[in-house]
Amino acid sequence: MRPLLFILTLVIGAVVGLGLTWFATANGYGPGLVRAGAWKAWPKAGTEEADPYARAALARAGELPLELADGLAFVAVTDDAGRPLDGRCDIRLSGTVPQARFWTLTLTDRDGNLVDNAADRHGFTSTEVVWNRDGMVDVVLGPRARAGNWLPTGARDRLALTLRLYDAPVGLASRTSDAPEMPKLITERCP
Amino acid sequence: MKRVVIPILAGLVLGTLVHLVGVLMMPYVAEQDAYARLSGVSQVNAATLIEDPRTLATVLPASDPAFVTAVCLYDLAEGPLKVKVPTTEDYTSISFYTRYGLPFYAINDRSAGRTVIELDLMNARQKAAMPEDEEVTVADRLVVESPAEEGIVLIRAMARERGARDEVKAAVAAASCTPVP
Repeated sequence: MRPLLFILTLVIGAVVGLGLTWFATANGYGPGLVRAGAWKAWPKAGTEEADPYARAALARAGELPLELADGLAFVAVTDDAGRPLDGRCDIRLSGTVPQARFWTLTLTDRDGNLVDNAADRHGFTSTEVVWNRDGMVDVVLGPRARAGNWLPTGARDRLALTLRLYDAPVGLASRTSDAPEMPKLITERCP
Repeated sequence: MKRVVIPILAGLVLGTLVHLVGVLMMPYVAEQDAYARLSGVSQVNAATLIEDPRTLATVLPASDPAFVTAVCLYDLAEGPLKVKVPTTEDYTSISFYTRYGLPFYAINDRSAGRTVIELDLMNARQKAAMPEDEEVTVADRLVVESPAEEGIVLIRAMARERGARDEVKAAVAAASCTPVP
């Protein structure tokens, strides 16, 4: 009986330990999370004070974080209602973008790979996007071409949007408690 | 039943320990980390332009495709490194990471405030060995101290639209990363 109980201890230890580690590094970059609607950012991950969870998740994914002195990246994998971003639907991104010298919007799958499409478009920069007269932006993600700011989704599901703000005012990132106002993400129509 | 309570508790404690050690060690044991992937396409102590956005997405996941990116892996064992990057019209930045992915310095065209960003990358020992008077005469020289011997320099410039990409590419291709003898 004794050795059996010892083996039980080891098995529980291995399963719990590896399971926790997998879970902690597969979803986001640890506890330094800042939320703004459906958007998530990890400002500290891009500094020398990055916590061990952020460093572990980045190393596992083979990524290098956007340094905070350079910019700040917000990622969304769901719309504002919490539904996963599905490329078979029309999804509207609208509203204001926090102040920054430049920003870019990028569509990828959840692993960060670009989404293949005939138009060869993977995002917009703040200078090429068509702005509304009131200083707001309107971008529609969908499988079929349409007028205006259209981001082709290739009818893929489980997509991720990344909004990167470059040369943003310092306060934006250090104010962890009240996150900036980010554009809304709404799924409009699904087949 | 009572006999299994202690092994289960011990297992949970052991699991927590395994988890903590695993997380702390991950940056040092991950085989497919950024440095490993980048060393497949880039040389050490020389800047390499990564032209194809798809190659970039493979070797550096979650990087911004709106940018033209060049990579310079460095090793300061032989001496300091000089990084020279011409800026573009829009946005140019240089960011520094250690071999194990810790970000330690970043600068962009605006914070550098000049048309060609010139940096001297060195370790603490090399910085301490710098002649005092030299530091005075070249006060506007940017010296970056690396906490590690080896690391990664990312040179990135934004292309505001597709038509501007070739011009930006030419600027990034002119960036250099050379050891100072």
